[in-house]
Amino acid sequence: MSALKTLVWRNSKLFFKDKGTFFTSLITPVILLVLYVTFLANVYRDSFLASVGQGVQISEEILNSLVGGQLVSSLIAVSCVTVAFCANMRMVDDKVTGAVNDLTIAPIKGSVMALGYYLSTVITTLLICLFALCICLVYLFSVGGSLGAGDILLLALDTFLLVMFGTALSSVINFFLSSQGQISAVGTIVSSGYGFICGAYMPISSFPQGLQKVISFLPGTYGTSLVRNHALMSAFEKMESEPMLRAAIEPIKNAVDCNLYFFGSRVETGTMYAVLIISITVLMGIYVIMNIASSRKAR
Amino acid sequence: MQEIIRIENLSKSFKEVKAVKELSFSVNEGELFAFLGVNGAGKSTTISIMCGQLKKDNGKVFINGFDIDNDKNSIKRNIGAVFQNSVLDKALNVYDNLKSRAALYGISGKMFEKRLDEISNMLELHDLHKRTLGRLSGGQRRRVDIARALVHDPKILILDEPTTGLDPQSRKKVWDCLAQLRKNRNMTVFLTTHYMEETADADRVLIIDDGRICAMGTPLELKNKYSGDFVSIYGISEAEVQMLKRPYEKIVGGYRLFVNDTAQAVELIMRHGELFGDFEITKGRMDDVFLAVTGKQLLGRN
Repeated sequence: MSALKTLVWRNSKLFFKDKGTFFTSLITPVILLVLYVTFLANVYRDSFLASVGQGVQISEEILNSLVGGQLVSSLIAVSCVTVAFCANMRMVDDKVTGAVNDLTIAPIKGSVMALGYYLSTVITTLLICLFALCICLVYLFSVGGSLGAGDILLLALDTFLLVMFGTALSSVINFFLSSQGQISAVGTIVSSGYGFICGAYMPISSFPQGLQKVISFLPGTYGTSLVRNHALMSAFEKMESEPMLRAAIEPIKNAVDCNLYFFGSRVETGTMYAVLIISITVLMGIYVIMNIASSRKAR
Repeated sequence: MQEIIRIENLSKSFKEVKAVKELSFSVNEGELFAFLGVNGAGKSTTISIMCGQLKKDNGKVFINGFDIDNDKNSIKRNIGAVFQNSVLDKALNVYDNLKSRAALYGISGKMFEKRLDEISNMLELHDLHKRTLGRLSGGQRRRVDIARALVHDPKILILDEPTTGLDPQSRKKVWDCLAQLRKNRNMTVFLTTHYMEETADADRVLIIDDGRICAMGTPLELKNKYSGDFVSIYGISEAEVQMLKRPYEKIVGGYRLFVNDTAQAVELIMRHGELFGDFEITKGRMDDVFLAVTGKQLLGRN
């Protein structure tokens, strides 16, 4: 236990000491927020206005809550995974610097080493993503949007689960990396590609049918949908209280992936949580097995 | 003396390349054992197997009575290793580095503080605790590497070219530390080095080439067997040296003659006493031994 605790402390401290990695991880969500607000806010606003139909009055508060919620959910969904990949480079750096030889010369189990990397990445990623969530909430409230305390707590829970998922996924992928070049390549691919396949940049509902079916097998999609549901819940509740807007709720939910369909069947929120938790468990299991197999191979 | 390391018929291949071939040797407790060979001779492979970081193909490895096949963790507790390049965390300070490594052996809290104090006294590290590792000089960093290897109080210290790249003063400091360790704690030191003069102080030397043992013995035994003696004569002319009919080379102020052994040197002096006004008889160097045994020269010669 002492070894695991110290490994987590060591890995986390090294992450924060590496100013380049730390600030890159920290600033990425802020940059994303600025980009979203600059380029996508108006697109989302027009899209929501079109959804409620011409001549139907929608209050600025509801509209801002919808636009803000959409932006916030996209940003959190992407950041939890991309920041995890960035923070989880310690295991690769240890291979590059040779530090892994110094660690494994001690009588320490491969599974403890693996867990040490995993937990430190969860901690560092969670800190950064919760910081990003705070920035997002400040933005949301500053533009006149609203969100209840329960929604905020659920968003924090979603962030935690997505961080666990992003860390588990990055652990399995980074396990095979052993050079700085590979780190850069994976970082670039994930940061540019993940936002699309999880439905953060573009709603999955706007993709061709075939692609939608393929993407419905990816667990990250359900994480994005959870965040989006909770970020927009307050806006939908307000729409519910206005009879003229009630009819637009389901079309908007379908359009922004709050409603997700697996081969035509709607996936409930509980199922989304289950998919995410099972994915985390499976990925962690694969990661620990890979580490145990690797240390047995060395024997 | 009690045997602390025993290697029997150790073999290891990497695909078609046989890195270590049927290697057998033993090291006694408290010995300074020098393991010599050019790059690629099989030294690092042997060390990695001994440290439990590489799987062997064949053979047996016993460290302090533990069989590596059955009790690798006990072996790891008995070994401390200093790698060729420092592999500690450069971004952390010395204290944090040692704390993080000690915890891997279950040493933490007061137990760690006590151990840290002991090794800091031994290696003069007290002033360096709060210094970032990456900002230390090469010699200071090497001392921290040795401290890391000693943090769990092992019986055997394995040093893979510990002084490569260090200035003479830092090298001396490292050697002073090692001498203290051996004197005070009867520690077994297993050393690979490129500096041949460093092996002269070893209790025994093993020369490995192409994965096989070429020679093993005390430095004196090896010098007597493989290098012969040298007689340096000062203040004579080359014509006079040629009269001695022995191979020679010019040195500052005189000539150096090669003789097979000390007896031959004495005979030469007795026969040509008039030429030996100012002279000295020296044993061959370990470089000469290495060259005679392997036909190769170590590149790291100082």
